Order: sequence, then C-alpha cells, then structure tokens
Amino acid sequence: MMNNKLIDRLQILSISLIWLLFTGIAVWILNLIKESLRLHDAPDASLGISLVAIPVFFTLSSVLTYVFIGLRKGRRKDVES
Amino acid sequence: MSAEAPRADVHHLAQTDEAAMFERLSRSNLVTTWKWYLGVAAAGAVLLWGVIVFLYMAMVGMGVTGYNRPVFWGLYEASLVFWIGLSHSGTLISAILRLTHATWRAPVLRGAEAMTAFTLVVGGLIPIIHLGRNWRVYYALPYPSSRELWPNMRSPLMWDAMAITTYLIGSLTFLYVGMIPDLALLRDKSAGWRKRFYSALSLGFRGTHAQWRRYHVASTLFAILIIPIAVSVHSIVSWDFAMAKVPGWHSTIFAPYFVVGAIFSGIAAILVLMIVFRKVFHLERYLKLIHFNYLSVLLLVMSLLWFYFTFSEYLTSYYGHEPNEMRVFWYKFSGAFAPYFWTMVTCNFLVPLILLSNRKTRTIPGILIASISVIIGMWLERLIIVVPSLANPRLPYPTGIYIPSHTEWMLFLGGVSVFILGYMMFARFFPVISVWEIQEGRQESAKTVTERITSYMPDPQPRYTGSMENE
Repeated sequence: MMNNKLIDRLQILSISLIWLLFTGIAVWILNLIKESLRLHDAPDASLGISLVAIPVFFTLSSVLTYVFIGLRKGRRKDVES
Repeated sequence: MSAEAPRADVHHLAQTDEAAMFERLSRSNLVTTWKWYLGVAAAGAVLLWGVIVFLYMAMVGMGVTGYNRPVFWGLYEASLVFWIGLSHSGTLISAILRLTHATWRAPVLRGAEAMTAFTLVVGGLIPIIHLGRNWRVYYALPYPSSRELWPNMRSPLMWDAMAITTYLIGSLTFLYVGMIPDLALLRDKSAGWRKRFYSALSLGFRGTHAQWRRYHVASTLFAILIIPIAVSVHSIVSWDFAMAKVPGWHSTIFAPYFVVGAIFSGIAAILVLMIVFRKVFHLERYLKLIHFNYLSVLLLVMSLLWFYFTFSEYLTSYYGHEPNEMRVFWYKFSGAFAPYFWTMVTCNFLVPLILLSNRKTRTIPGILIASISVIIGMWLERLIIVVPSLANPRLPYPTGIYIPSHTEWMLFLGGVSVFILGYMMFARFFPVISVWEIQEGRQESAKTVTERITSYMPDPQPRYTGSMENE
C-alpha cells in the first residue's frame, strides 16, 4: 500500500515537472520574441523556432500524460478487482 | 499486439516457460560480476583523466588546444558532429522498425535506443567544453539577465541547443516508455531495494488490457513524433556549417548529406554494440545471424548512398571551379588532408562494399570489421568537413595548420569513456534486449506476417473445374 502511494506521488511529481519544464521553455521562447520586438531586433528566428518547438514539446508531454493516466487507471482497476 | 488479443499479464509471464528467457536476458540486471566492476574502473579512470585535463584547460585557457588562426574549430566540432550523428540511428531506426512492424526488430531496438541517449549526452557536453569560458554556459539558458543579454536565436548554434535538447528529451522518453513492461517484470522478480527501484520506475504497470492498449497507442505516437525530430536535429547540425559562406561549407545538400552520414555511422555503431552484447552476455540465441544480415545490408545501402552524396558534393564544387572552393578541394584531394580523405573513402565505401556485398564475407567478423571501418571513416569525414575549409578561408590568410593537442585527444577519449560508462550502467540496471517485445514477437509474428501477406497478395481465383460447358 505504501508502495502504491509512493508510486502515485512519483507519477504526479514527474508529470508535473515535465509540464513545468515544457511550459518554461515555451514561456522562454515567447519572451525572446517579445524582447526582440521591444528592442527592435529581428524576431523571425524566434518565431520560426517557436512554431516548431512549442507544438513538439506539448505533443510530447501530452503523449506522456496519456501514458501515465492510462497506467494509473489500469493499476486502480487491478487493485480494486 | 492487438488490443483484443488475449495476453499474458506480467505475473503469468514470470511463471511460464518464457521465464527461462527472462532469466537469461535480465541476468546482468540482477547479478553483478567482477568483470563489470573492472570495466567501470577502467572507463572511470579514463574519464577521471579527461576531467583533470578539462579543468586544466578551463584554468589556463584554450591555448592548450591545437587551435590557431585561422583554424578555430577542430577536433571538438568534428567530435560533436560525430556523436550527434551516432545518436541518429538508434531512436530513428527503432521508430521506423516499430512503425513498419518489422517482425525481426525486437532484439535490436533497446540497445539502439540506449545508444542514442548516451551519444547525445556526450555530444551535448562538447559545446560546453569548447566554450572556453565554460562557466558562462548559462548565457545560453533562459536566464533573466539585468543587462538584457539574451541568446541570439538567429545563430544556428542556438538552434543546435534547442534541437539537441528536444531530441535528448524525446529519446529518453521513448527509451523509458519502451522499457515500462520490462521494468514491471524486473519488479516482480527482484527483492529489497531493487524491487522498490523497479516499482517506482514501472509506474504500476500490471499488463491489463487497458494498459496495453494505451501503451501501444502511445508507442506509435512517440515513434511518429521522433522521426521528424531526429531528421531535424542533424539537419540543424549541418546548418551550423552550411549557413556560413565558408568555402566547402555553403552547400544546399549539406542537410540530407549529414542525415545520410548520421544514419550510416549510427547503423555501424549499432552493429558493433550488438556484436559486443552478443559476446559479453552470451545472447547468441537472441541476436542471430539474420539480424546482423539485415542490418549489414542496410549498412551497405547507406554506404552506396553516402558515396553518391559525396560524389555529388565534390563534383558540383569541381565543376563550378570557384578559386576559393578549389583551394579547399585540392587541399583534400592532394594536399595536407589527402591521406585522411582517401582513408575516409576506403573506410566508408571500399571496405563495406567488399565485405558486405559478398555473402561469404558477410559473417559476424566481416560485419564487425566493416562497421568499425565505417565508424573510423565517418569520424574522419567530420574532421575533413571542419578543418580544411577553415584552413583555407576566403580572407587572405596563409593556409592554416591544425594539429590536435594532447588535451583535445584526452577530452575525446573522455567522451568515449562517458559513453562506455553510461552504457555499462544502463546494461547493469536495465535489460539490453526488450523481453516483452521478444515474447510478443513469438506470440504474434507468425499471425501478423500471414495477415500482411494475405492483405497484399492477389485473392485466390476460383479453381478451374475443367468443364467447358458453361463458357
């Protein structure tokens, strides 16, 4: 039982950290675009990278969340039965 | 495995005749031998020496390298491209084999995916080593500087940082998700701290229908996602060079040329690792000659493709006959770099062609020689791309001379030891061959192959009865 609680916490912690990391990267890139506009620098490269990187990171984290939620549901059903 | 198919759960698997296979494949995870400690000590000693050399370079500066005007990129950059190239085939080939449902893939995947993770770690360390003032690496991070210093995203080197980070995260996730069923098996077979360790990592996987279904959907999605990421990473590494108007670098085919070279060297590295694993872990029953045969034919095809790209690249330069380009061209073909250039052609083209095109020499020793030859050849290729172009710049400098110093060689060996050490640690705690995929292959492959053949072959015609009366 203790083991299950630990696993639950680890799962929630890891998936939260992944979302935190990816959201952080997205915010950083968006900030780069904002800064380049404010400083009248060229925002094209930041824009180009954000168009690719942000969707990739969020797709990765979404698929991971899908796996984690699936495994948690499966374990709960297994424990209940 | 289809979601509807009845499947054994992980508890059942451990008790069936598959248990013997599991014992063999996971032995290295449950038992530590003196050879493992010896290997770790040897690799650790090289790494320690590399760390000392690195600290010395950080203290006294980059003058201890062989860099000299106009050659300011050398062994470090060649190694960066080389390691990132090696990383390519692991996850990329694994993803392609998964998506195409190649039934022979199971024993190959795990080792290949792990290779990607460790080669990327080594490759990612090199820009930091090359930085000079290494302690300022945080300038490239999202650091809210009061001086408004932000990374310049117009530099391909920043694209590199983004691409390598994305690929590393994606590859580690791909590797980890692929291991979850095996981690559950290890959890059920181990005790003490190992049980807690594998319990935490297996995320409560029990092998229920719902878990397997979701697991397979996620694996497919990861495989689809990782292929464009892998291709983009080495394209971006090539743009570090191609975006500069340096003779020999400013080429439109550099991105596909680099991707082809990366897959080529990566397959060679996978073959070497598979041969080593087969010998060390006595996996002759699982890594069979047919696996080596399939991969070596692929290596041969990549060798021909590499030669085609190399020929196209140099033919275009020669036909254009632009003076600066021709200086670099002759520097490689008949100048100071000619021995390296022709060794590269021999290692990357002639040796694989001779050894792998003949069935008699396409044996395990033959494949090993060809693979090592390709790894050496591809490392030389990276050096040949980096140095001659910088030694013969457009600006009126005398031709540069570059001889790598002891520091650079030691840091290169330190990188090799990081890779070996990382791989040994991985093999110690995780199965180097995917147990669940071998089991799945045994249960499902015959059915899958039959279904596939039936799906694309013409439907059987009604049998001719021999009677003409109805016509």
